[in-house]
Formats: sequence, C-alpha cells, structure tokens
Amino acid sequence: MPTAGQKKLLEELKNSLTQAVPEGQVEDSDYTRTGCHLEVRLDQGGMRRVAKVMLDKRFYLETITAVDFIDHFELVYLYSTYYQDVFRVITRIRIAKDATPFSVSAIYPGAIWLEREVYDFFGIRFQEHPDLKRIINPDDADYFPLLKNFGKTKFTEEIDDILC
Amino acid sequence: MNIKTIDDATVNQRVYQLNLGPQHPSTHGVMHLLVTLDGEVVIKIEPIIGYSHRGHEKMAENRIYEQFLPNPARMDYLSGMIFNHGYCMAVEKLCGIEVPRRAEYIRVITSELNRIASHFIGAMDYAMGLGAITPFLWGWDDREQILDLLEGIAGSRLTYSYGRFGGVRNDIDQAFYNGTRRFIDRLRGRFWDYENLINQNIIFIKRSKGVGVISKEDALTYGVTGPSLRGSGVKYDVRKNEPYSAYPEFNFEIPTREAGDCLARYQVRMAEIEQSLNIIEQALDHLPPGPVRSKVPRFVTPPEGECYLTFESARGAVGFYIVSDGSRIPYRIKVRAPSFSNLFAMTKICPGHFLADVIAIFGSIDVTVPEIDR
Repeated sequence: MPTAGQKKLLEELKNSLTQAVPEGQVEDSDYTRTGCHLEVRLDQGGMRRVAKVMLDKRFYLETITAVDFIDHFELVYLYSTYYQDVFRVITRIRIAKDATPFSVSAIYPGAIWLEREVYDFFGIRFQEHPDLKRIINPDDADYFPLLKNFGKTKFTEEIDDILC
Repeated sequence: MNIKTIDDATVNQRVYQLNLGPQHPSTHGVMHLLVTLDGEVVIKIEPIIGYSHRGHEKMAENRIYEQFLPNPARMDYLSGMIFNHGYCMAVEKLCGIEVPRRAEYIRVITSELNRIASHFIGAMDYAMGLGAITPFLWGWDDREQILDLLEGIAGSRLTYSYGRFGGVRNDIDQAFYNGTRRFIDRLRGRFWDYENLINQNIIFIKRSKGVGVISKEDALTYGVTGPSLRGSGVKYDVRKNEPYSAYPEFNFEIPTREAGDCLARYQVRMAEIEQSLNIIEQALDHLPPGPVRSKVPRFVTPPEGECYLTFESARGAVGFYIVSDGSRIPYRIKVRAPSFSNLFAMTKICPGHFLADVIAIFGSIDVTVPEIDR
C-alpha cells in the first residue's frame, strides 16, 4: 500500500510530467511486481524534459540502460529519491535502431559515464554528449557486445534451443 | 653513448600527465587513473576502466536463470553474499516466489557478516593507503574469522553461491551459530583497540579531515550512494528506505556524518560495522524455525515482463533490472553498480587536491574494480 507521502508525490509528479511531456503516457506501475511506482512511455525523445522535472523534484539518476528488441531499442532511465518515501520512476523511450537521442548529461553530470556505457555496448550515439567514447570495451573495438546479433553462431542457437 | 638532452622549456613545464596504474598498489584492482597535474596539484583526473571486464551482462543472455547464480558474487567479490542474495530476490520478485522466514533471517545474517568483512577491507585499506600498516593486519584478522564462518556454510570464501531461488542452499549448523556468537563478542571487545589505534592518530586525522568533500548537490547529480553518501549527511540506506527481506523486523540505526570528507566516510563505515553486529545479534536471538527453501520448480520460467530490484551492498545501492520474454533464458539483465557512479563522482571532487590526497579519496570511496567493469 502506498503511504500518504507517496500518494501526494505521485499526484504532483504526474501533473508535472504530463505538462513536460504531453506526447507521452504517464501511468501508475505496480510496485510489488515491477519495483517502480510510475512509468513514463515516450517515443523517440523527451528524455531531457523528463530529466529536468526529476531534478526539480530532487530525484537522482540511478542508471541508464538500453534493451535491444531486434527492430528497435528501448532506452530505460531509472530515477529514485534520497529524501522522501521510496519512489521510483522508470522512463522508457522507444527509439529506432539508427536514432541519435539527446544526452541528459547537461542536467545530470553523472549521466556522462552512464551514456558512454550505453554507447559502448549498444552503439547508440548520444547528441550533445561532451565525451562520447568507449568506456569498458577496448578503444579500438569494432563491435557492440550487447546487441542481440553479437556472438550468435549456429552452435549458440542450438544451445538456446536445448535450454528453452 | 648517445645522451638525449632536454631543453629548458620541457624542464620548466609545470603541467604534466601522470599515470597511476593500471597496476598501482593503492587501486586494489586493475584500474588506471590518468592524472593531469600542475606541480603537485591535480587539475583533472580521468579513470580508465575496463581491465577486468568479463561480460556478465552478456553471459546472462546466454544461460538459464539458475546457471547465472554463480555470477553475481563475482561482480563484487568483497560483498559477494549480498549480490548473490540480491540476484535471488530479483528473480523471486519476477516469478512471485515466496521465501520462508527462516531463510530470510539466514540471508540477513550472512549478508551482514559479509558487509562487516567488506567494510573492514574498505576502512583498513584506506588506513593503509595513508601509510598505517598495523590496522590493515588487524582488520584482516577480524575479516578472516568471518570468511571462516561463511566458508563453513557456503563452501567458499569469497565468491559465494549460497542463495537459491526461494531460500538458501542449506540450513545453518550449530558450529556457525556458536561461531557467530563468539565472533560478535570478540569484535565488540576490539572496537576500543581500533578507536585507540586509528581514530586518535594525528597523521590519520590530518590526512583525512577536510579532504575530498562531496557536497549533497554533487551526490544527487552524480548518483552517489552507500557510505560515501551517508558521509555527506544524507540519510539514505536501501535497507531502511526501501526495506527488503527481513530488514523491517530489526532495530538498527543509519549512521551519518555531516562533513562529507574522507574522515566522515571512514567513520560511517566503522559505525556501520557496529550496527551490522546489532542486526546479526537480533537475527540470531529470534531465528524462526522451519524450512530454509520453498518448493520451486527445478527450472524457473518467469512470466513476460520486467522488474527492478534494489538492495544495499557494502558500497551502495545495487540494482538488478531483469527483462524476461517468458522463456527460461533472461532477455536482458542490467546491473546498477554503485561503484561506477561513486567513482565518477571522484573526478568531480579530486581537482584542487594534492596527488597524495587522490590516494586518500580513492581509498575512502572504496570501489571494487570488478564491480565497475562487470
């Protein structure tokens, strides 16, 4: 059951987020199942407007990651807060495979490394990023390891068939 | 003989770059710090990471959930038990598996023992970075007792694979119970020694007080968590703020310090060791009877969907983000590594300090390199 503080925050956040990203869907999320209280779904962009709202409300950026869904990527931003009752906001942004989303590093400097990691593993190039280069993989690597087609051979597919 | 002469301009050059690592004694792990110095003052610092990247997130996509069980402990080898239980909790949340209460208590006991062991490395290795060798050996001695205890029930000393979906591998035995009681008494008697040895030491205080201050604003925008955050006066601990497992049933404090410097971070760690002892003692006092593992299928098949679960490791808030496509193989597992964000915050606080202070700041943030690289 959400506490009174969470309910109040939920209403405030919903209003601010719908104002900031009118094109997106702001929905409640089932905390016991997903671990998030609020879910923002967007197409292509709007991550910087969401980030501004979250910084105003004193949330910190937990992590940025991406998921490769073969025909498109989903960028995932997780925000949580130090100061109030537990509250987690997840922002999912569906982007095309060749899209260049905007960086949120001007708002959250901590995103500089998080976005470098996403670029390193998925090849997503962030616009207006101060220093977009490889971070964990070698500088001269010509692959993006977390893409679904990386490392797939006939042998691994057979193993997958056995395991599934 | 051909002797190269250096011209005056090069000799008089004040700004230069220095490589700390990849094999530097203070980086306890393979990490490379590229430091730009003006004389002895740091202008810019750039950590170069990835030397111990093993691709755990990619590995997860190529094996079933059970086969990934040994991996989380290898991400952060100093608090492997906490990671191991955390991964089990994430999968349990995804599948809706219930955990018996006794298993939750055992998870808390083993996690807190592991936290103490990890904090001893964090705090004592920091002291060694400042030139004190004795505390390191004393801390290692206390840590050794914990490793022996955990070895007795989990079978390994660092990279545990003790958690199972729906509980733990096996019940704790009498030897573990008695040994943990003895360890608590022994450690309580030694706090006084640590107090005398380190906290009153004038060199230690001068090297750490006012060095490497993380402000609350920096902590927020860089996503700092764990003892490094609590040293800056923010009372945020996942165990209290977002209770999981059996933690709501125990009575413990979240130690914080206002200063935000290296000394504050060290003090928070030592205070947390005491709180962890309290938790273990309460858990042993009220250990419920019953099974330690619920009935789960031999292979779990989570429904389609995703979940995010966060827990407090010795270094901060760890998160497991699991995406399932309804098959027995995870579609994607992302691990939020606290050291990753904490280390990046270091690039903000280091400029303006002396080179020797970089070692102090690095030690006081207490990062584990394999956890950053994954």
